[in-house]
Amino acid sequence: MRQVGTAMKFSSIKTMPRNVVRDTMKSIERNNLMSAASVLSVIAALIILGIFLILTINVQEVTKDVESKLELKIFLQSDFTDTQKETIQQALKKSDLIENVTFESAEEALEKFTVSLEDYAPLLSGYNSENNPMPASFVVRVTDPNDMEEVQTLAMSFKNQGVEYVRYGQEYVEALVNFNKFTNTLSIVVLVVLSMISIFIIYNTIKLTVFARRREIGIMKYVGATNAYIRAPFILEGTVLGLMGAIVAFLIIRITYYYILGLVGGNLFLPVDATLASPDAVMGQLIFFFLIYGGFIGAVGSIFAIRKFLDV
Amino acid sequence: MIEFKNVTKGYDKNKSDALKNVSLFIDKGEFVFLVGRSGAGKSTFIKLLLREIEATEGSVYINNFNVAKLSKKEIPFLRRKMGIVFQDFRLLENKSVYENVAYAMEIIGKSEKQIQKRVPLALDMVGLSHRMNHYPHELSGGEQQRVVIARAIINNPSILICDEPTGNLDPETSYEIISILEEINRRGTTVVVVTHDREIVDTMKKRVLTLEDGILKVDDATGRYGYEV
Repeated sequence: MRQVGTAMKFSSIKTMPRNVVRDTMKSIERNNLMSAASVLSVIAALIILGIFLILTINVQEVTKDVESKLELKIFLQSDFTDTQKETIQQALKKSDLIENVTFESAEEALEKFTVSLEDYAPLLSGYNSENNPMPASFVVRVTDPNDMEEVQTLAMSFKNQGVEYVRYGQEYVEALVNFNKFTNTLSIVVLVVLSMISIFIIYNTIKLTVFARRREIGIMKYVGATNAYIRAPFILEGTVLGLMGAIVAFLIIRITYYYILGLVGGNLFLPVDATLASPDAVMGQLIFFFLIYGGFIGAVGSIFAIRKFLDV
Repeated sequence: MIEFKNVTKGYDKNKSDALKNVSLFIDKGEFVFLVGRSGAGKSTFIKLLLREIEATEGSVYINNFNVAKLSKKEIPFLRRKMGIVFQDFRLLENKSVYENVAYAMEIIGKSEKQIQKRVPLALDMVGLSHRMNHYPHELSGGEQQRVVIARAIINNPSILICDEPTGNLDPETSYEIISILEEINRRGTTVVVVTHDREIVDTMKKRVLTLEDGILKVDDATGRYGYEV
């Protein structure tokens, strides 16, 4: 019996139910109301998830962008000596946390400031190298924004040995990192809750199909059909429902997203100078995630629905 | 070959067992009637053969194989060794006669070519070739039962189990069905018929097993109904 068994297993996988696609569509049609409810629930879940996903992707993108632009400024005391400057520069260059260091003399700082305030040039014209109010500084770019604080500590170790104070966009970085964490967590919570709701609705839809075909399932069991063989069409039906929901949800989100981008002209009122993620890249990630998610939700719901009926 | 060795089956601790210490042996190629009042343990007997349930004590052997040792995954392959005929037919209403029989072959992965060859042969054997494209609701009870028999033998089972095959049929049709079963038996298949039909049992003069309250009361090789009504 065992030898026959293995041989049979292979051949029954090879010849899956004939007309299985037609039967699936028929069954979806027969349960049209519940099928529609399933697809709608997947659409609703995925639209909400999609909004969160787009938000998360953009927040990540903005964070990355802002972080890469962040600089640390080490302001020097007005009476620093060349030896002090040299020592500090050496120390900074040795550190592997730092990508590059540039020295900005007081004159350069004033010049920059004057240029940036061109319209008010007359106001600044009274200043020259004798009474320059601007401090000299080192402008530091770190390799990893998370090391900002460490670099700050390093610089502050030269306090009163040439260094006056250190400044970087501390608040910005922290706020962004926190917001990033928050959107990530929120997305996961939303994902879990909405997934459970969708699975439950698909589960109920497929249960109707299973119930309608319980006689057939019983006959199949008595004639010696394997569980995998019996399960296949129901899993297919659930997966098709999930995928249908995923595709519709994607189209709705895609149209809406591009419409909104068109309205704001890519000009979102962000407090920082940063670019959003490219819409095409976002949509690519989205359809990939949606299809996997939709198919998965549908299959899981179906597996739960049929489990009870297989025990004959 | 079917063998029960001291089989006891209880469903509920508070109720008496459905089968009590039943031992029996049915050889390959035999034709056996199993009789008994309702509740005597006939359904339990069939369910044990199909491994729908497991014995509480003792063991059931089919073709020298202890069915208790089968894993869940192997049960379908045990069932392919057996054909089953139900009292209530259990045909698929939305499939034609041909499709109903072909279905049993599709399920176990036979090729379209094999199906096209074997289904007409099986339908011919039960005398339904002319009804091939009809649907179950267009057939009489006797005809429906013949379709069920064709479906049960289509995969060449070594054992054919019939649960009250004539229960819903008039006497004349019942004899036709029984003679088909006899013909199947003549070709080498072991046939077990569970029935209430005293007349048929007495006429056929086959081996009769009588169950009473879960006990195998009579095992009569000469073929008489084992209990008085």
